[in-house]
Amino acid sequence: MADVSLATEAATIRSAASGPSGPKPRHRLSRRNIFLYGTLIVVALYYLLPLYVMVVTSLKGMPEIRLGNIFSPPLEITFEPWVKAWATACTGLNCDGLSRGFWNSVRITVPSVLLSIAIASVNGYALANWRFKGADTFFIILIVGAFIPYQVMIYPIVIILREIGIYGTLTGLVIVHSIFGMPILTLLFRNYFTSMPEELFRAARVDGAGFWGIYLRIMLPMSLPIFVVAIILQVTGIWNDFLFGVVYTRPDTYPMTVQLNNIVNSVQGVKEYNVNMAATILTGLVPLIVYFVSGKLFVRGIAAGAVKG
Amino acid sequence: MAAAIADPSVSIQDLSLNFGSVSVLQTLNLDVAEGEFIVLLGPSGCGKSTLLNCIAGLLDISDGRIFIKGKNVTWEEPKDRGIGMVFQSYALYPQMTVEKNLSFGLRVAGVPKEEIAKRIARAAEILQIEPLLQRKPSALSGGQRQRVAIGRALVRDVDVFLFDEPLSNLDAKLRSELRVEIKLLHRKLENTMIYVTHDQIEAMTLADRIAVMRGGVIQQLDAPQTIYNRPVNRFVAGFLGSPAMNFLKGELEAGDAPVFKADGVSVPLGRYQFEGDGGRAARPCIFGIRPEHIALGDAAKAMPFSAESTVEIVDPMGSDTLVWTKLGGQIVSFRVEADKTLRNGDAIRIGFDPARASLFDAETDSRL
Repeated sequence: MADVSLATEAATIRSAASGPSGPKPRHRLSRRNIFLYGTLIVVALYYLLPLYVMVVTSLKGMPEIRLGNIFSPPLEITFEPWVKAWATACTGLNCDGLSRGFWNSVRITVPSVLLSIAIASVNGYALANWRFKGADTFFIILIVGAFIPYQVMIYPIVIILREIGIYGTLTGLVIVHSIFGMPILTLLFRNYFTSMPEELFRAARVDGAGFWGIYLRIMLPMSLPIFVVAIILQVTGIWNDFLFGVVYTRPDTYPMTVQLNNIVNSVQGVKEYNVNMAATILTGLVPLIVYFVSGKLFVRGIAAGAVKG
Repeated sequence: MAAAIADPSVSIQDLSLNFGSVSVLQTLNLDVAEGEFIVLLGPSGCGKSTLLNCIAGLLDISDGRIFIKGKNVTWEEPKDRGIGMVFQSYALYPQMTVEKNLSFGLRVAGVPKEEIAKRIARAAEILQIEPLLQRKPSALSGGQRQRVAIGRALVRDVDVFLFDEPLSNLDAKLRSELRVEIKLLHRKLENTMIYVTHDQIEAMTLADRIAVMRGGVIQQLDAPQTIYNRPVNRFVAGFLGSPAMNFLKGELEAGDAPVFKADGVSVPLGRYQFEGDGGRAARPCIFGIRPEHIALGDAAKAMPFSAESTVEIVDPMGSDTLVWTKLGGQIVSFRVEADKTLRNGDAIRIGFDPARASLFDAETDSRL
């Protein structure tokens, strides 16, 4: 009975005072929101402006570009620069555009990504779960490897590749990319596998699964997010690589980035800004698509891998 | 210590384990009889789970030997030891259905399909998880998950079951339900079971024998009742029993009629069973008496020892009530029935039978 009277009393107090009740109201146009979204919009525009200029310029003809209004939209849209950039632009003696470089880059990127991820994931798994003697030392050496400047190693690697007899071939470049991806990828995988419950690994051992059995049947199916992260890192990294491409390949096996540079920086003839812009966008398209397709998984994977170190 | 077991199911001989310079287990010996339910009990960090992992073969030991079913398995892989293990976090493979979880070990071992189906059907029937076979672990409740985890050990058709705190992740109600189920399972299968827990109620209810551990050493290995009534040292006495045993500091006066003396209290120890010749020498000691062994009022007068006191605090716990008072200037708690109405400051008489008490050396903490 005491409860009932208390409840009614509470109700009367609430209606009488008409104080705050229910969810707190939110103001869309509060000063905080204006400031927040305003800043975000300005920053976004600032970032998008160069891309806008590139797209617009690539769709203009040369006479229109010479007018000098780089921000104005094209009066006459033409796709000719794109076709030229892809198929007929000349670099040295070859006049088949970026298409040659594109396929070279594909032939470099795909095996490098697969090879480096395959090795690094097994590395990370072994370091996280099979605590062999000297594992920590091995891990530290590997991580230190990530901090050594590339420039130091370029010439020794040239000699090594020459001695093996694969200097200037795509195979050589694939091997170089795989080696240089190893420290950061191993770190990534090791941290991810360390964050998995150890009892799962123990249960699998009691069930009789061995090194590869546990890796392939238990760990692999559970680690899709981290594989996506690794694939994105490697695809964009290797696709965008210029230094290794220019050092370890020959003109007919140049990756797309090197070829792009040769088109844009050619000293003979007129500067064809529209062709250059189109070629640049074409080259950047692959990483761009990778980001758009896998953005969500990427963020999730990075977060999952970062929790435990 | 109990007499040596003739044909032990699991035998651990002089087992030591060091992590670097830290010694986790020290020359530990343990024999488990065929079909026995052994509970390893102790606080966190006492080495009980480590010992279990050593038996399972998940940790490499530093010294000693492990026999399972008379076979030296010290260097064997976990899968070749004839053990099944149940983990605290269930450790179910998240991407596999319950059925695939159960059959994983058998598939790895290359057991024929009909045999796998037969064993899964049997395990599922025993544990009543038939309707769950096609579900993923994420779609199961905690109790169901732990049942599946037990099933995974069951289908392997092993001699020895190892449980690593299997009920710690469950709520109190489920825990007591599954505790009964594990007990029934043991009666049905009659396998050897080694069970690690820090929960004394699980230990008391499940075990044939309890091994109380501290600092990597087995303090006492005996039947639950013996451990409860005749703890070998103060640690074991204080670890088992809830509410905990009362400890009174005082002096032992030796002689033909030994007496325990604390500030204004003297308890005759004529009825107390000393270990060996513990009662011969006078020394500082600690007198332990369990709250449920202290009587109140008229019952106290009938006891060999009784004294006047006043109520300090009353803790109602539902089934009974815990009363705090003072004896010889030291705080003592005892249990009374829930319908006894006592108030703070009430004058009371409490008493007990020294035969049910435990006396420990103040220096060594071991039983006198």
